[in-house]
Amino acid sequence: MILTAELLQATLEHLVLTYTALTAGILVTIPLIFLSLYSARLASMIMRFASLVQAVPSFAVVAFIVPLIGIGFMPAVLAIMLRVLLPTIKNTYIGLFNVDSTLIEASKGIGLTDFQILKHIRLPNAYPAIFAGIKFAAILANSIAVLTALIGGGGLGPIIFEGLTNFNTVKILTGVLPVIGIALFLDFSFSRIEQRLTPEYLRK
Amino acid sequence: MISGKLFERIESLRLENVTKKYGENFAVRNLNLEIKGGELLILIGKSGSGKTTVLRMMNRLIEPDSGSISINGIDIRKFDPIRLRRNTGYVIQNIGLLPHLRVSGNIGLIPKLEGWKEEKIQERIQDLLNFVSLPPQVFTDRYPHELSGGQQQRVGLARAMVMSPPLFLMDEPFGALDSLLRAQLQDEFYRIKKELGRTIVFVTHDINEAFRLGDRIAIIDNSELVQVGTPQELIFSPSSNLVAEIVDSKRKYRHIDALKVKDLAQPLDKRYILDSGLSAASVLDHMSAEGLEIALVFDSPENSGRVGLTDVMKAVSSGKSLDEALKPLPLFSPETPLLEALLRLKTGGGSIGLVLENDKPGGILFSDRILQNLV
Repeated sequence: MILTAELLQATLEHLVLTYTALTAGILVTIPLIFLSLYSARLASMIMRFASLVQAVPSFAVVAFIVPLIGIGFMPAVLAIMLRVLLPTIKNTYIGLFNVDSTLIEASKGIGLTDFQILKHIRLPNAYPAIFAGIKFAAILANSIAVLTALIGGGGLGPIIFEGLTNFNTVKILTGVLPVIGIALFLDFSFSRIEQRLTPEYLRK
Repeated sequence: MISGKLFERIESLRLENVTKKYGENFAVRNLNLEIKGGELLILIGKSGSGKTTVLRMMNRLIEPDSGSISINGIDIRKFDPIRLRRNTGYVIQNIGLLPHLRVSGNIGLIPKLEGWKEEKIQERIQDLLNFVSLPPQVFTDRYPHELSGGQQQRVGLARAMVMSPPLFLMDEPFGALDSLLRAQLQDEFYRIKKELGRTIVFVTHDINEAFRLGDRIAIIDNSELVQVGTPQELIFSPSSNLVAEIVDSKRKYRHIDALKVKDLAQPLDKRYILDSGLSAASVLDHMSAEGLEIALVFDSPENSGRVGLTDVMKAVSSGKSLDEALKPLPLFSPETPLLEALLRLKTGGGSIGLVLENDKPGGILFSDRILQNLV
């Protein structure tokens, strides 16, 4: 049996890992999106890079990090962050650019600057898509955080892997159930935030 | 603050040798056009003719490849495009209200960006909503999706008017509405146009709308300006078969709404006009000699009448004076709408009317001639 304190500690670590990576992913996304706004070529390069990372299996991304920067918490954060970039970047980009072109046209026509169009039209329009992306990224980060146990990321992953190697069902469940709990919590909490930020006119 | 008035009123908006190409295709080719201050100029043409491109060059949404566009003699390239657009009311078919802002937010957006005080913005919004016949207490807090198409278009119009621009650019603003609503909004717009007295450039593909609203109409076909003129000029002297086809010259009766008495009056023929106070017998002689079936008596608008040959003959045989045989004579100003004139002729039971210019006879209106000219 694992001590409750040990489990709590692991769960906390897992949460810190997940949220740190997610926050890092969002922080990296913002400047990339701004760059995309200024150049279509840059936008297509960034999107391609994000899609490429997404296409590589999670396990391979985690493993690939090790020869680059070794093992431990930070490499784990980096691996997770790379994986969550696609949903955040792609959704933000789509949200910002999938605005009815006549709306942009009319807004230009009444005298809004490009920045004002971004702020008053593109961003409000993109909120639902952006938060759908972040929600997906959070759930993705939680699951990859389990994998990063292999490169010393800590969290609930080590408990699960230990259980697997020893065929210890109780231990496996001890690790897996909190992960599932975190996933459900993330989904629920981000859904609530998403709902709040959805413009009134889109709510049913 | 970007704005401030660029110009108080438009004296002229001039396009000189304006050309715009997309790849190898001309969107607008060597176009010259002068829009006078205060007029409503219609740009009409088939879809793809370049009319919208011309309009969008006027607020620099599109820059011409060559040629120049100037307002009051100043090349618009000298103006900051944002400032130019805030001095120009822009209304498009799809309206483009921001879906996440209420009616008040949509109308008040530019004033807010311009740093107006909140009370002044609210006051302006109320005024404008009243102006476009949307009761503010009902509509101020609605979202665009809670409005009908016609209501959205009114809000679009109010938004375009918020900065009191001296120039309006309108791209098929009523194009998406059903015909009944469209006619209603056209009528209202006609009233607004008169009240505002602003310069308006209006794109449409609907010739009836063009005749209904336009002071002058510019016909654009295949990227080029074909003819520009008043509705009457286009109907009665189309420069080409194409123009005749577009304005449907062969069936002028379709444009009866756009015509006025002066368009179809006959030049004054002095033989028809008699002095008052003549005896019936001398009038009979005159009419027989000239071969007239009908004659008009005119001294002043109060003292006038018409008389037919048979009436004169009856008067002579019964010994009555000419004045007793006179029937009322409809009098028109050259600007009287033709339809109204025809109705008055019909209710008066006659087929002839006198057109007065400065209270003097200037022409004659025959109902049968009107018919001949229209069909």
